[in-house]
Amino acid sequence: MSDPEKNDPPINRQITPQSAANTPSSPAMTPVRFRGGGFAPAPVRGVGILVFVLLIGGAEWGTRAGFITALTLPRPSDVFATLVELYRSGLLAEHMIPSLTRLIVGSLMGISIGVSVGVLIGLSSWFRAGLVPLVAALFPIPKIALLPLFVIWFGIDEGSKYALIAFGTFTPTVVATYGAVDNVDRTWVRMAQSFDHRWWSIVRGVILPAALPGILSGLRISLAIGIILLVAAEMLGAEYGIGAYILEAGSLYDLERLFAGVVILSALGVTVSFAIGLIERRVLRWRS
Amino acid sequence: MTDFTRRHALGLMAAAGAGLAAPALASNRKITIGALRFTSHAASFVALERGYFKDAGLDVELKFFQAAQPMAVAIASGDVDYAVTAVSGGLVSLADKGAVKVIGGALSEEAGIDGQKILVSDAAFQSGITSPAMLDGKSFGMSTAGSSFHYMGSKIAAKEGITLRFKPLQKVGAIIGALKSGQIDAWSIVPHIAKPLAGSGAVHIIGNVSDYIPDYQVTTTFTSAKNAKDERDMTAAFLAGFAKGGADFNAALVDKTSGESDAMIDLIHKYVYADKPREAAAKSIANGAMRVNEGAALNVASIQDQLEWFKSENLVPDVALETLIDTSYVKTI
Repeated sequence: MSDPEKNDPPINRQITPQSAANTPSSPAMTPVRFRGGGFAPAPVRGVGILVFVLLIGGAEWGTRAGFITALTLPRPSDVFATLVELYRSGLLAEHMIPSLTRLIVGSLMGISIGVSVGVLIGLSSWFRAGLVPLVAALFPIPKIALLPLFVIWFGIDEGSKYALIAFGTFTPTVVATYGAVDNVDRTWVRMAQSFDHRWWSIVRGVILPAALPGILSGLRISLAIGIILLVAAEMLGAEYGIGAYILEAGSLYDLERLFAGVVILSALGVTVSFAIGLIERRVLRWRS
Repeated sequence: MTDFTRRHALGLMAAAGAGLAAPALASNRKITIGALRFTSHAASFVALERGYFKDAGLDVELKFFQAAQPMAVAIASGDVDYAVTAVSGGLVSLADKGAVKVIGGALSEEAGIDGQKILVSDAAFQSGITSPAMLDGKSFGMSTAGSSFHYMGSKIAAKEGITLRFKPLQKVGAIIGALKSGQIDAWSIVPHIAKPLAGSGAVHIIGNVSDYIPDYQVTTTFTSAKNAKDERDMTAAFLAGFAKGGADFNAALVDKTSGESDAMIDLIHKYVYADKPREAAAKSIANGAMRVNEGAALNVASIQDQLEWFKSENLVPDVALETLIDTSYVKTI
């Protein structure tokens, strides 16, 4: 640690609040350097891309030089060629459309029910007492374990896939939503009550807008879980879909196709996150 | 797990005797053999229990898997030395990457011996599907694309001139569940699974795979390409032990010439259906007895046909037969 008061006479270095207050004209009263800067993260352009380039470039070089075997990692350029071929053959659309439909329908169901239940828990003591333990019990269940059951309940076709994704996105949404409702500033609610607003008007005008940032950041997690569950949902009986494509590539030990599928899922995740960012900016304009 | 039976004692004595009698061979190389808890893997169990591996100078440890695919990957990674599995797209891919080699044959379809069965769900059966020819447009269960089920279904469809919709369900358990509940219409599987299922009335047997794929080489023994190339003594020793176990199995349960079917069932029961009582397990084990090729011989024509099919379906890259198999160890049929 560097000493900011290096040039001061040694006798004045230990400044107690008392001595500082009692001797206002003492030389210890020299201006104190501002120290509370915090850890301010500044945007550094290009580093994120550089990390990707280094990783992919390293893999490309290693596979070409031969010290990464074909068994360990596919060549990135081959993965890219596989993606291009997938697009050209029209198979990309054939896999994407069912997957996107499943993701959208399933997570819409899960999120809309999840937000409603979460708001109810946040507002009503009865719902909180009754449903919080249930949600806590449902959350840690590996949804994949229930897949065979869902197949019997909802059929082997789209029903079980929607249900799995809906169930998987439901619980994190509930938890994020009632947490966000709980964190709404109580003084805002009291103020609205003082102005004699009706209950519904307070919910709509104060609680929901104030809870929205928390709900939206919960959505990021819910939708990422939805994408993860896409692969699980397509384990049973799916001929087309990105998850089915990845599983097939895995069982054929076709690493190029496996990684092509993984890249598609990652891209999907980035897109969803970006879309939520756009929504956040739009619906949270009131904050600025 | 502490019960010490007569059989254990015999096994120990045999092992001790073998140790004394055969000091000259590859001195107790430690190897790991991958297996599934299926009757179709019995040859390895027999060879281990009766000390045939020990006789060949191998100190064998069995490692159990839930499915054939991870077993193939374990061979490629060097965690397992030898295993038995059906030729699948994944196996061919691993061979293409220079990781594994098929070195011998195991289970075969043979005329006159109960082989793999074609099953339909009760719902499909009630709607009048009583032969494979009537399956046009129906759904057919498989674990994954490029699995042996996919191959069998395609061969049946090709011969009958029908089309089947293949449903990937990842695991045998999931396929059974889907078939029982009528979510899929048809499937084909080894007899020791097919017969108890049909006995329960939830599914029905409507044909034999052997009618569509005669002399089908159902499973093969395989190892890492490194073992096949550099560890010739060890590989030959494994195949010798395995073949001897297979011969005992054939004599006891397939040809029923040795008259020791009860002893054989007891031995296998230690590994397969260990959670079921002996009587229930005995039926399933005896039902599953398909012939293990004599001397672990390999039916190259059947492997060739399977490989061609994988290629024609674009499931694997253009792999030469020699990349997949090493015929220097066993007789070929």
